[in-house]
Amino acid sequence: MSNNPFPLSKEKLSQAYRTMRTIREFEERLHVDFARGDIPGFVHLYAGEEASAVGIMMHLNDNDRIASTHRGHGHCIAKGVDVKEMMAEIYGKTTGACRGKGGSMHIADLSKGMMGANGILGAGAPLICGAALAAQKLGHGGVGISFVGDGASNQGTFLESLNLAAVWNLPAIFVVENNGYAESTSVDWAVASDSYVDRATGFGLPGITVDGTDFFAVYEAAGELIRRAREGGGPSLLECKMVRFHGHFEGDAQTYRAKGELEDIRANKDCIKFFQARVREAGVLSANEFEKIDDEVARLIDEAVAEAKAAALPSARDLLTDVYVAY
Amino acid sequence: MAGPVVGVIANPVSARDIRRVIAHAGSLQVTDRANIVLRVLAGLAAAGVGTVVMMPENAGIRRHVTRAMVRAANVGEARFPDLEFLEMKVTGEAADSATAARMMRRMGVAAIVVLGGDGTHRVVVSECGNTPIAGVSTGTNNAFPETREPTITGLAVGLAVSGLVPAAAAFVDNKQLEVSINERREIALVDVTIVRERYVGSRAIWKADGFRELFVTFGEPGGIGMSSVVGLLAPVKRCSPFGRRVIFDRPETAPFRLQAPIAPGLVEPVGIERIETIGVDTATRLTVPAGAICLDGEREVTFSEKDDVCVTLRDAAFRTIDVSACMAQAASNGWFVEPAGKLPIISQQGGHS
Repeated sequence: MSNNPFPLSKEKLSQAYRTMRTIREFEERLHVDFARGDIPGFVHLYAGEEASAVGIMMHLNDNDRIASTHRGHGHCIAKGVDVKEMMAEIYGKTTGACRGKGGSMHIADLSKGMMGANGILGAGAPLICGAALAAQKLGHGGVGISFVGDGASNQGTFLESLNLAAVWNLPAIFVVENNGYAESTSVDWAVASDSYVDRATGFGLPGITVDGTDFFAVYEAAGELIRRAREGGGPSLLECKMVRFHGHFEGDAQTYRAKGELEDIRANKDCIKFFQARVREAGVLSANEFEKIDDEVARLIDEAVAEAKAAALPSARDLLTDVYVAY
Repeated sequence: MAGPVVGVIANPVSARDIRRVIAHAGSLQVTDRANIVLRVLAGLAAAGVGTVVMMPENAGIRRHVTRAMVRAANVGEARFPDLEFLEMKVTGEAADSATAARMMRRMGVAAIVVLGGDGTHRVVVSECGNTPIAGVSTGTNNAFPETREPTITGLAVGLAVSGLVPAAAAFVDNKQLEVSINERREIALVDVTIVRERYVGSRAIWKADGFRELFVTFGEPGGIGMSSVVGLLAPVKRCSPFGRRVIFDRPETAPFRLQAPIAPGLVEPVGIERIETIGVDTATRLTVPAGAICLDGEREVTFSEKDDVCVTLRDAAFRTIDVSACMAQAASNGWFVEPAGKLPIISQQGGHS
């Protein structure tokens, strides 16, 4: 331990890396398979943003609830949702996390505290106020974490939720994952004050900004906000400034990006590369250990895809089952 | 452009870090920052500055400032100088301040007004060369910039750059700390702290048991941040030709313990092993083999046993504008009086004094 300069043990660092790598592999595989026409519906990929989901979720347990976005695969994986069930869900199969009826934007697993990806922008924030209120009343020390993108932070639901959380002093944390684009609109054109900290301040809760491409920055900041919420300190806002490696949706031509932007962010803003370089340089995990994790993750994703493809589609008889879920 | 041009750097990303949560530091909103800029501009215009160049950003400061200036122009008010924005790529990061300072130096601005705390001022000084700066404290930790009404800063900068105030009175030389990590070079304006943690993370430092060493250019008894340790033990003035180095120990085993305001809202016990005076231009090697180097209160660089790290105090490293001295000259010379000159003061008993 004495040679480990990081605030996590070697085992925890391995776990963080494995989770980030799993998200990356999952998304890059979907990118290929979707283009081939294997997948029904729509997918929005989280590749490039892994440090945010993992840096935050490393502090949570199954008592803690999260509400995700349309770009929810990374949040699901980091919160512990079974990867094979997720893949099957995206393929629309009966073995999926929601029996194949939700697809990418509705993956949920209440047993893991994952209240669902959400196709409605900004809809997660009110849900998390409810989850945080429940945690407060039950007194079990749980917290609720809502994710929104920079675009959805303009939604009334999000702003109303900041107000509600402040008024009720809820153990809620609002994470703004600012990847610079609301679909195809630059944040500079769509957000009157780009400072999300200002928005929090306006409702009387503290907000901070971190480099969302730096796992350790997210981990440290999220740890303080979550601890504060568990100890009764109330709600807060965390802005993670980050990049997304793919379009808003798969098939997006991304004509709104500057020339060379994608190449630049993949080369210079890759949170997984940063993590690997720092941890390897410090001698805590070796190149071989990273490769071993990479191989295991690649096998897991291969298996998840193969099993998803082999599984059955829901039948017409399944149409009216599992429509309502008791929370 | 006729007459001296002044630069203004107001970066919206300053004062947004974790210290708002762990130490209840302030969150100056974008509209407040824009209003500060407008007050600086009003002061500059009143002191005769006709043109200002400003760092562009997209968080809302430019929008709010432009709105106010358009309105003033619409109603024929001449309260502000002409304002231009630098043509540069906005990244929304601290690096924008460095880019702007570099561009302003190259275009030969007469002075740069900086909104921010110690961190933002450090970034600007690293690129501004001999261009004098005037600080307006809007950051988290404000040991370096003075707390002052921005209108006055604008007035004083205008007087300084117009040449009305003699350079010897208008400008002050400042010390800085130079940190070399192998071939890399960094600077700090107030303090360099060495901490045990070997990762940058969320940058702020607040865990006193990880403190290992401290170097300061100055430390005032009323100062905030890491330099307060020196300020409360053995103060050093900004103008003194030396600095201090403190070797920390764990608070529970140290021969001395000090309650120090190490950050806004954080008064913590720190363990002191010893305190030394450091001279100018003498490189000091660290006593700890590995850790993180914190520049003006923020973790910036990590180092290990393999790295060669030295800290050196430099004198006359950069220039600031002495706002009090400029305003004193204005008062004694009656520069704001029309007709110019000194107004006679009438004593209560009658007659002139």
